Amino acid sequence: MNTVIESLKQFWFFTGFANCTWQNLTMILIGIIFITIAIKKDWEPLLLVPIGFGMIIGNIPMFPGLNIGVYEDGSVLNTLYQGVKQGWYPPLIFLGIGAMTDFSALISQPRLLLIGAAAQMGIFGAYLLALAFGFDPNQAGAIGIIGGADGPTAIFLSSKLAPDLMGAIAVSAYSYMALVPVIQRPIMLALTTKEERLIRMPKPRQVSQREKIIFPIVGFLLTAFIVPSGLPLLGMLFFGNLLKESGVTRRLAETARGPLIDVVTILIGLTVGASTQADKFLTGSSIKIFLLGLLSFVIATTCGVLFVKFWNLFLKGDRKINPLIGNAGVSAVPDSARVSETVGRESDPDNHLLMHAMGPNVAGVIGSAVAAGILLGFLG
Amino acid sequence: MKHPRHIIISLLAGFAALAAGAQNPSDLRIGEVLCENTSGLVDGFGNRNGWIEIFNNSNGTVKFGGCYLTDDASNLKKYHIPSSDRSTQVGPRQSIVFYAGGNASLGTYYTNFTVEKGESVYLVSNDGRTIIDRMDIPTDLPADKSIAKIPVGIKEMDFEVRVNDKPSPGSYNGDVDAKTKSEIIKEKDPHGWVLTLISVMVVFSALLILAFIFGWIGRWNGKGKVKPAPKAKGKVPDEIAAAISLALRQELGGEVYAAIALALDDYLGTGVHDAESFFITIVPSQNGNWNDKTQTFRQLPR
Repeated sequence: MNTVIESLKQFWFFTGFANCTWQNLTMILIGIIFITIAIKKDWEPLLLVPIGFGMIIGNIPMFPGLNIGVYEDGSVLNTLYQGVKQGWYPPLIFLGIGAMTDFSALISQPRLLLIGAAAQMGIFGAYLLALAFGFDPNQAGAIGIIGGADGPTAIFLSSKLAPDLMGAIAVSAYSYMALVPVIQRPIMLALTTKEERLIRMPKPRQVSQREKIIFPIVGFLLTAFIVPSGLPLLGMLFFGNLLKESGVTRRLAETARGPLIDVVTILIGLTVGASTQADKFLTGSSIKIFLLGLLSFVIATTCGVLFVKFWNLFLKGDRKINPLIGNAGVSAVPDSARVSETVGRESDPDNHLLMHAMGPNVAGVIGSAVAAGILLGFLG
Repeated sequence: MKHPRHIIISLLAGFAALAAGAQNPSDLRIGEVLCENTSGLVDGFGNRNGWIEIFNNSNGTVKFGGCYLTDDASNLKKYHIPSSDRSTQVGPRQSIVFYAGGNASLGTYYTNFTVEKGESVYLVSNDGRTIIDRMDIPTDLPADKSIAKIPVGIKEMDFEVRVNDKPSPGSYNGDVDAKTKSEIIKEKDPHGWVLTLISVMVVFSALLILAFIFGWIGRWNGKGKVKPAPKAKGKVPDEIAAAISLALRQELGGEVYAAIALALDDYLGTGVHDAESFFITIVPSQNGNWNDKTQTFRQLPR
């Protein structure tokens, strides 16, 4: 009888109930909230569902030493987590993004690239604020990249500069990307006048296939020569785009933008979520990171819109740019461009800004990868 | 090899092979040598001997099994590093130490010669002929001091040879107390304004140059390279209409009809189709009954 009781006691100690803490339950609750938001509101479901479920997986209370936790060497989750830790997944996601992105909107109006550059101020604004909050420069750089509104870039950079903060940074980046419509709309309305919102932009010109093929090659050469440290992201982004535009690698392009990116998205979402174990995630730093992440999105949107307004001072006639596409400089593709379209049509239902906003939007992807490369070069 | 394509592919394959062999024993350096060891490193048998440190100057792992160490230029194969020992590899920018006690029977990392002042130590490739690196030991090298190659330059790939007062067997010969980039930035730019300014300038410059290049390419492309898209006239010329009519009278597949329809649509500019799609989907007629399950029914035998 004693043996049975002892065995039951031992079994009890191995259960999640015996090892449960309020921190575990909090994180599980956050995971459930993520999943609920994704399903009910349809906000970034492809990312929030894996991250939310990953949070639940990573916070199941367990007896240490069973070699199943994400931070235990050799466990299944740890093996999958290496793609995040070593930075393999983000470049693969960039390959898929490149293979699914049509840069025509940008090539037809190359001047819109500058809006993508202006919105990167969110990254550097958050960097300055993070330093003021007491973070070290490498940590501040990793936090600042949240302002790029680019999940893979945030994971890539934080895995290199501040691995300890990666969980909080990734979750913060994806959370605010899901909240782009909520964050950006009031800022855009507050910073623009009714007249400005009514500006109609000329129809973009037709882009030839040759230009589309030249773009990834020239774009890569130029950006990689300026910022070689951004090579993994920039190389994969432009390579993916070349696969798409070359017209002779259809199968590769379809794999990159289909099954490959889906598989990597599942793995990156799940493992990033699982890495948010309560003891590593529920800290004062995480709260600061969430606050800084929000501020970085606000700064990025503000700078993008104000930059267009400032630029308009020097433009005449139909060259003027609708400042509502300024927000699209953050690289949350295509959500921020969609916000431009929605807010634009509130003022003029016939004014379609989506095709114009896609230019700065994809420029933002390039800009944030360049910014990540610069930060890695200085702080890595 | 007559076809130019074969020559190009062969050249590319050659370059690839060269690149694949980038991390090899030629990246190894004799990093540090100590002759007279009275108070320093103790080997696995409790002895204090002279030692030779080998440094991997590359950013990849290098296998050094099969290479040779010697203190005699006329006998380059004096000590053969066993290639069968799986531990004979050194990680990127890492070092390993050989104890120069003169007794090779103690293990892989024990040489069969000792190192003496005034001599030279050679690291020889596994062909037994090619000297990868050498270190000349000064005649006046004090006891417990080493002669070391200190990495210098921004890339730290070049070396400066000097006497090291604090021998560091098995560890990096540079400044062990060197600060990280982040610490240096924290000292020089505590509020982050300089880094921010430079970064913003670089991001703007990169995208500005790209904008100029593509603005120029766009203008160049517009000057006769690309024919302007035909404008919608609302009417197909008579000769084209006749050709289409002729084609439609033939018994052609659905793909041909679809292609004609798309071409007309493009020409007239009346609609939009996705230029990025790689295939055309032709939906079979709803009236067709070729796959209708009822067609496969048969009367039950009575």
